[in-house]
Amino acid sequence: MGQPAEENYSMTHSLVSRRDALQHSSVGFGWLAASALLQQVSPRVYAEHAEQTIPARARRVIFMFMKGGPSQVDTFDYKPKLNADDGKELPFAKPRVQFAPTGNLLGSPWKFQQYGQSGIHVSDLFPHVAKHVDDICFLNSVYGTNAAHGGAALKLHTGSDTFVRPGMGAWINYGLGCENQNLPGFITICPTLAHGGVNNWGSAFLPAEFQGVPLGVASQPSTGAQVKFMKNPRWSKAIQREQIDMLTQLANSQPGFSTETAHDPLLEARLKSFELAFRMQSEMPPVQDLSGETKETLALYGLDNPVTENFGRQCLLARRFAEVGVRFIQVTHSDPKVQWDQHGDLLVGHTEKASEVDKPIAGLLTDLKQRGLLNDTLVLWGGEFGRTPVAQGKNGRDHNPDGFTMWMAGGGIKGGIRHGATDEYGYYAVENKMHIHDVHATMLHLLGINHLKLTYRHAGRDFRLTDVAGKVHADVLA
Amino acid sequence: MCIANLQRLQYFFVKATFVAVTILCCGRGGVCQELKTSLVTPAFFSETISPLLEKHCIGCHGPEEQEGGLRLDSVTGISTGGKSGSAVVPGAVDESLLMSALQYMDEALQMPPEEKLSSEAIEAFSQWIQAGAPHPEGRVVVHSPPPVFDPVESRKFWSLTPPVRPHIPHVLHPEFVVSPIDGFIESQLEAKGLLPAAVADKTTLIRRATFGLTGLPPTPDEIDRFLADDSPNAFEKVIDRLLSSPHYGEHWARHWLDVVRYADSNGLDENIAHGNAWRYRDYVIESLNADKPFDQFVKEHLAGDLLVGPDTSQSKKIEFLTATGFLTMGPKVLAEGDQTKMLMDIIDEQIDTTGRAFLGLSLGCARCHDHKFDPISQADYYSIAGIFQSTETMESLVRIAKWHENSIASPEEQESHRQYLLTIDTKKTEIENLIKHSQEEITHASTALPNSTESRGNEKGSAVISEEKFPENVRTQLSQLREEQKALEGAVPQMASAMGVQEKSSQESRIHIRGSHLSLGRRVSRGIPAVLEIDSPLSIAAGSGRKELAEWMVHPRHPLTSRVLVNRLWRWHFGRGIVATTENFGILGEKPSNQPLLDWLAVELIESGYSLKKMHRAIMLSRTYQLSSDPQTCATKEQAAQVDPGNILRWRSDVRRLPSESIRDAMLVVSGTLDRSMGGTLLHVANRAFLFDHTSKDETRYDSLRRSIYLPVIRNHIHDAFWLFDSTDGAVPNGDRGTSTVASQALYMLNSDFVMQVSKAIAESLFVDSPVNLDTDVRTTIAFRRILGRTPAECELVLIKKSAEKIEMQLQMDGIPQAERDLSLWTVLSQTLVTGNEFLFIR
Repeated sequence: MGQPAEENYSMTHSLVSRRDALQHSSVGFGWLAASALLQQVSPRVYAEHAEQTIPARARRVIFMFMKGGPSQVDTFDYKPKLNADDGKELPFAKPRVQFAPTGNLLGSPWKFQQYGQSGIHVSDLFPHVAKHVDDICFLNSVYGTNAAHGGAALKLHTGSDTFVRPGMGAWINYGLGCENQNLPGFITICPTLAHGGVNNWGSAFLPAEFQGVPLGVASQPSTGAQVKFMKNPRWSKAIQREQIDMLTQLANSQPGFSTETAHDPLLEARLKSFELAFRMQSEMPPVQDLSGETKETLALYGLDNPVTENFGRQCLLARRFAEVGVRFIQVTHSDPKVQWDQHGDLLVGHTEKASEVDKPIAGLLTDLKQRGLLNDTLVLWGGEFGRTPVAQGKNGRDHNPDGFTMWMAGGGIKGGIRHGATDEYGYYAVENKMHIHDVHATMLHLLGINHLKLTYRHAGRDFRLTDVAGKVHADVLA
Repeated sequence: MCIANLQRLQYFFVKATFVAVTILCCGRGGVCQELKTSLVTPAFFSETISPLLEKHCIGCHGPEEQEGGLRLDSVTGISTGGKSGSAVVPGAVDESLLMSALQYMDEALQMPPEEKLSSEAIEAFSQWIQAGAPHPEGRVVVHSPPPVFDPVESRKFWSLTPPVRPHIPHVLHPEFVVSPIDGFIESQLEAKGLLPAAVADKTTLIRRATFGLTGLPPTPDEIDRFLADDSPNAFEKVIDRLLSSPHYGEHWARHWLDVVRYADSNGLDENIAHGNAWRYRDYVIESLNADKPFDQFVKEHLAGDLLVGPDTSQSKKIEFLTATGFLTMGPKVLAEGDQTKMLMDIIDEQIDTTGRAFLGLSLGCARCHDHKFDPISQADYYSIAGIFQSTETMESLVRIAKWHENSIASPEEQESHRQYLLTIDTKKTEIENLIKHSQEEITHASTALPNSTESRGNEKGSAVISEEKFPENVRTQLSQLREEQKALEGAVPQMASAMGVQEKSSQESRIHIRGSHLSLGRRVSRGIPAVLEIDSPLSIAAGSGRKELAEWMVHPRHPLTSRVLVNRLWRWHFGRGIVATTENFGILGEKPSNQPLLDWLAVELIESGYSLKKMHRAIMLSRTYQLSSDPQTCATKEQAAQVDPGNILRWRSDVRRLPSESIRDAMLVVSGTLDRSMGGTLLHVANRAFLFDHTSKDETRYDSLRRSIYLPVIRNHIHDAFWLFDSTDGAVPNGDRGTSTVASQALYMLNSDFVMQVSKAIAESLFVDSPVNLDTDVRTTIAFRRILGRTPAECELVLIKKSAEKIEMQLQMDGIPQAERDLSLWTVLSQTLVTGNEFLFIR
């Protein structure tokens, strides 16, 4: 079937709206064109082309990206045999392509306990998240293809570790648009600039309006996270209002540029974009202003503790953006050092990392739930890969894209289950294997999008987030 | 008949090469192979192989089912193979798909699917194939599959037929035809009952032409001179002046850099600096300014290193070597752990870019399967891949992999480098001598003492003595010398080098089944897609074949190269290509809106000696180029709005936004702050150093007042204004940038430091040489001329005056001190003017 395509997309703009524009020239023409350009083009285009609709279980996504690759066997993929066989040789072959040389099996230094009704095991690294196991679906059999950070991060975010492709947030923004016309549909808080950087949230060949809008970067504390150019360093709002009014008036007096003579919706659209920018300037700061949050809420996210404060603020911002209708919100847990990338000193590194995120993540889940937002918010957690059950050096673990854990909660997800499994040591995904493409397909499904139908025509073919693969895993759906 | 023979010949050629290669492979097997072969008796198949096939394979690949089109129950079936090609290549275990499936090499092709066979069973298959796959029914013969596309039929597609000079059509209104270009346009307009718009006014024309050729606005003086020039060739003089400006090369190089996905950093997984990419950029600027013939330009891109001869001058040599940077600049996954995959990904990027940039074909689509739409087979793809596999692009594939660079150091530079290294050697020798000397002295002294425990003598009586035993003055001297050595080593001058390729041992590529390097099919000889052969397959005498590839690319009867280029020129002048899909002239690409025009331009390009400047003149001197964008000047505007609202037929000019680089450059020009120096690099990190590592620390810096083309293109992190205004970060070839209109652009214009600074600089310039209390209207007039190149209309003066009063009051209310208020007011006003549509659009 016909898909929303580049051609169709530009047709909508340059032909249809131009025709509209000409026909409506007596009644202040160009407004239609401008509104088409600036607001919610994508849902219309997508809806027109989608053959069937899947009931949407989630309206938005919050993705918590743990950069560096948290270890599955030390967190949410309990492997008693790994500890039993600590120090022994791995009884099966290691992957054909490995990132670094590794040795024998390394037991987990953390204890696992059962939690909730479901009795799912969680390690002592995540005592707070553990209390939410009954709302969480652990995807224990996720696998990718790339053992290096850059490739794996790109694969996770864009579905491709070979080419520059739109990020999943951009695809979803393209597919569903933003619920709030004065805010971007895809915001990424403190994203990392390494390992694919912008390509992880860029729009690639999709129209630029669907790209992620970064709020700060990973190298800066989240307190200073701002969208660029949102505030003028010198002029007051009143001055800017006058500037925009002047722009409009001048446009109508300029020879060949007035809407009377130029007949070009692009010019009109540009003027409208200033109005929208002006409104964004007013709308964005209040969302970022946490002063109205209660002491209890701040404590819930760990904002009262220097260890959890930085990531806690990201999580709280995510909730606030979710509340005002932003479609895809990513928070990134990173730091200027090695992040979750414990090639050595697993115990020290993972303890530190987990202590920074455990409380904020649990806080976000609690808060979303108590506000009734968890029902239609899909929370996704994970890193670009997991870690090997075998040791690197004395006490580290290498990258492992062959079997690791991500988890989902909220928006249409069956809580309290483990989906898929790795082998007895947690090295390879073996049961209900879930490729990154499958994670994407399942996520889109929850948002009411058929991943096969969300396409964009570029360079002569229709592209998808899931490339030529992807399978919805129905077992995880509530 | 003749063509059928040709095809047969071609098959023979392919097969002959194939056999030769197989023989070579067998030869390499040596002794080991003979030993193995001797184990395989004539009964080996029926005793060992047949039962294995029966038990594990025939169920799905036999009389009942033929999964993947493969049957293994007869010699014919084994010979024919399945959809993925032959299952067995007798004598070549590595090339037999059956083996890669049995060995579970590729996750996507593992047989039997339930469980891998025992290693003994796999070894048996290996021995059988090694021995030539003897089969009781006869010989296993590998067939080349028939071509998927009929080349003769496929060549009938419009873009695959060589262009011929079309007749210039007769028209009803010759008064609208100034050049042949107008004839082709007029003919189509008349067929639809349309008339073209009037010619644009001179102010509009000079602005259009100046931005069009140099990417910069005309100065008020240039405008005045043009307006005052009543001669009939006044516009021609402007074009010639602009074409001879060095800014022409800068602007058109930027267009070309879009096509070749130029960037100063790798971008993909590891964002490290392309520290020498700028040399390629400068090469493009210089080539364009010198009007280097395009065919030569293409040859240098693909095979510059092979054009260097014994008589080539040093400067030409540098040009040639630098040009091949084209092949090296693509984004690469440099931390890929699978080195073979990395190499094939890099080659894929080269093939795809070469296809899109020069041929307007998406060759990359044929990596995993025959092209779904265009007549490009997977074999065609791997025939080109062989050329690039025989080319050295990478110096090292070890993480983080390194691309190859060619030395472009002059003999003097090389000599001084050698001298420098010698200085280090001298220093080392000095240190060694001092140590030796001191040791000897101590040994000498100690041998006087019998049974010394201080030193262990060896047979020769010399001793190893710790430096701690040296006298203090010697130790001081040593440490000083070592410091000096370290300093010297730390400051080895970098010899000039350029990203680029070189030859390596020639090899034929094998078809990668489903694009995987783990499932290799038959070998194909190096060459070009069969459908694009001109008279005969590519004949590669020696070397990688790049030289032949380049020659073929610019063959006068090549159907695509000239068309693709003139279409690009048209696109950059008019905003829309005659073929709208500038990178796709294939079946899914748009059809040309005016093929005779496209073909005329293509033939003109070739016959004019591939001169781009001549093409610019031809295009810009047409009436079509000079049309007004105002529909009111078109006598048939109502019909035109109905019949051709998108202006595909070009009945008028389009109003177009400036490209991002021109927006920035124009702002620098009108604020009087543009630094016009040319060439060189503004990258401040070392070659191959990280722009971004895991710390997310931002190493990019754009604090320069040079023209935009000289700002580094950091993939993933290009200049904000470029990112927002639809520039490219060079991930893929893009000859057709979009024009988006998004609120974040408005935010940039309203709030960015850059626009604020530029506005302030303009405001300051408005107070130079004029009294502080100058009448607002007079100052407005100066500002209009400077920023927009025209005097303001009466109504605009009124409007500005009214706004100025309001703004002044507001500034006062906002607490801006009196002393700063005038400058602030004019900063606000200037910002409004550079933000407006008239500044950002050409019409």
